[in-house]
Amino acid sequence: MSQTPEIRTGEVDAGGKSSQEINREIKELIAAGEKELRVFHTEAQHNLGVAILSPVSVTFDGSVGYYCGGLIDGPTIEVRGSAGWGLGESMLTGTIRVQGNVGNSCAASIRGGSVIVHGNAGARAGIGMKGGLLVIEGNSGYMTGFMMQKGAIIVCGNAGPALGDSMYEGAIFVAGEILDLGNDAVVQDIDDADKGFLREKLAPWRISHDRRFKKIVSGRRLWNFDKQDFDLWKEAL
Amino acid sequence: MCGIVGYLDKCGNPDTPLGDILYRMLTTLSCRGPDSAGVAMFGNSQGDWILRIKLGEHGDFSEKGCAVAEGLRKLLAVREHRVEAEYLRAVVAPVSDVSDLIHKVEGLAQGLELVSAGTRLEIAKQVGSPENLEGSYHIRTFRGTHGIGHTRLSTESRIDLSHSQPFWARGLLDVATVHNGHITNYHKLRRQFEGRGVRFYTENDSEIIGLYLHDRISEGYSLEEALRASVDDFDGSFCYLAASSESLAFVKDSFALKPLMVADTSEFVAMATEEIALRATFPGDFQTFEPGTRQVYVWAAPQQVMETLDVPNS
Repeated sequence: MSQTPEIRTGEVDAGGKSSQEINREIKELIAAGEKELRVFHTEAQHNLGVAILSPVSVTFDGSVGYYCGGLIDGPTIEVRGSAGWGLGESMLTGTIRVQGNVGNSCAASIRGGSVIVHGNAGARAGIGMKGGLLVIEGNSGYMTGFMMQKGAIIVCGNAGPALGDSMYEGAIFVAGEILDLGNDAVVQDIDDADKGFLREKLAPWRISHDRRFKKIVSGRRLWNFDKQDFDLWKEAL
Repeated sequence: MCGIVGYLDKCGNPDTPLGDILYRMLTTLSCRGPDSAGVAMFGNSQGDWILRIKLGEHGDFSEKGCAVAEGLRKLLAVREHRVEAEYLRAVVAPVSDVSDLIHKVEGLAQGLELVSAGTRLEIAKQVGSPENLEGSYHIRTFRGTHGIGHTRLSTESRIDLSHSQPFWARGLLDVATVHNGHITNYHKLRRQFEGRGVRFYTENDSEIIGLYLHDRISEGYSLEEALRASVDDFDGSFCYLAASSESLAFVKDSFALKPLMVADTSEFVAMATEEIALRATFPGDFQTFEPGTRQVYVWAAPQQVMETLDVPNS
């Protein structure tokens, strides 16, 4: 029988404390060797759990404000509530999972890792993504995947206007309705590899992959300037 | 960057501690706007009109207030009046012509400004923090059904009482707005309005929202239609709230460039630029959401308060 490693739990009561104080307590617990942390009375405070650089698990028992989990490398963060703007901004690796809705610009400029949103997302979800995965179980707002460069976005509900506007690379999958496509975003047929990818990425979160997903990629007409495409450029700029 | 808040009690309970609710929400957002703070609140109507007149920018105005009140008595039936810091608050018998009232009231002395008029609307604003506002006007004791509030970070115009928000939709009874953002075609719109003889009191682009709504409503639009039309008629990044005695509404621009978090529960609707204001003010477990681009939503204020008071004065 293998021995189960001892897991120490650490708790932080965020009530009445500033973001700096809460984050300092989180960092101190991690430095002391805690692997699983629970933060309660979060009351939508900003910048919670930013810049955590070790593979610990942090649960925010409530809603969080702006930039939760920004600049992280490695941790698993769960938010048992909703999140404000800029969730997980510029993260390198790790996982952020939100039970509720998220505000604008979730997973902005992430380079890796996964952001899982079980509710709906506001505008510009996955803006400038440079890798990683963004899953939105509900609907996504205006300009989802704006200027994304790499990685994948999976929207299980409907997508708002200007989907994938000016995207360079990467792929967006949408199961529901697309209100309209952004500049130079085109719909592509999905193949077996895509189906396998969707199954692999959605199954761990118990989200159904057995749906008719559409795949949106860059039309690449904005990659290089061509006089013949002047009208397209005029529109895009 | 400014902070805006809105609250509506869905039961229409006129005894709701509205002032305290708005104050608590504003306090959490004061870091978004340290320059000034203000509220527009809807209290209980006795059928008369409540006028709030700015007496001056800074100083002791008790004498001037009494003189203005005397002048006011010669114009119309004044039921009661009192001087509160920079304002004269007067309850007067209704008149037929609001623009004529503005003209006459502001003609009573130098530097007067009719800050709000209505059967239920009362606007109180002050330079500085929400604590300053409370210190001058004791807004926390105010009871009513719904209201809006603002903490201001001035970006393009002066910091003084006149330039503070909320703005009354001047000329339109019981309508006020608070705004976070920039109306970038403000100067163009202002020239059009001025060409038609509309007077602007400030250089603040937010002032135009109420004047625009007044203009649209006088063309025959409903408040909701006017709010919807404004999404296309205003350029820039904006999110604003409008409140009338019958409703509370939000309007979002075409790009969702300004935040707003909304909690719509069975008991109340509360909105704030940051969710932190909602969580700090309301206990319990409730969901919030961020409205998308070009969204306009109007909640009707329960009307039982109005119905009981709609009996005409005989």
